[in-house]
Amino acid sequence: MANIVEVTRIFDAPVELVWKLWTDPELVKRWWGPDRFTCPVAEIDFKEGAKSIVCMRSPAAFGGGDTYSIWNYTKIILHQQIEFIQNLGDAKGNKMAPTALGMPPDFPEDIRTVVVFKTLGKDKTEMTVTEYAEFGQISHFAQLGLEQCFEKMALALG
Amino acid sequence: MEIRRDVFQAIADPTRREIIGLLAREPLNLNAIAENFDSSRQAISLHIKILTECGLLVIKKQGRERLCQAKFQKLNEVSAWVEQYRMFWEKRLDKMDALVYELKKEKKKIRAVTKSK
Repeated sequence: MANIVEVTRIFDAPVELVWKLWTDPELVKRWWGPDRFTCPVAEIDFKEGAKSIVCMRSPAAFGGGDTYSIWNYTKIILHQQIEFIQNLGDAKGNKMAPTALGMPPDFPEDIRTVVVFKTLGKDKTEMTVTEYAEFGQISHFAQLGLEQCFEKMALALG
Repeated sequence: MEIRRDVFQAIADPTRREIIGLLAREPLNLNAIAENFDSSRQAISLHIKILTECGLLVIKKQGRERLCQAKFQKLNEVSAWVEQYRMFWEKRLDKMDALVYELKKEKKKIRAVTKSK
């Protein structure tokens, strides 16, 4: 199994508050989209086995399109851990192939995402988000995109 | 001739990119890798040496076999879209930080109002 991305931040807040960032749809809307993107939809069904639908809307300058992500929760341990599988999808919560949405062929699917919360103090919480790709997914990536990706990089390096 | 042992130099060669591509599916021994190319076993062996030296490949012993395994950590460092992903998340964390600060301020306000009643 390969680590794709891991980010960590320490928040000056109790874990109960940081946890709410993931469970309260009005709060999720405030952080899901990247800079200048908005998040018009966050349907949060925060239960193991259930799924949430979140949307990010690109600014007019980028075409103003909506991109839906589906989070299928696989494990929830109160104030400790949230695990879900991320996929692109439609507004109804159906998973879609990235290429069908105009993404490049090496765009990953079924991204296992793990959020871990560590209480460091009364008002201090460390939160780590890790996104994983399974070997199967890496080989899909390898088949469709690795060559192109490397070629582009090699060309850029001259 | 100086051989640069950095990752970009390693993947600049199409054969080496193909080797990594093969290993992305499953670990393979030298013969199994070499079968896929017209080059000599020695040439492939040299490519593997270069990939190993820059950390993209590791050779693991499994019984009497020596299997080549791609090291995805390194691959990930090289992959441009992974960097974008990481930036995405860092920005989200920034937003969360600001949100948490706001929520705490609100809580304080509510407590202050409740106290003064």
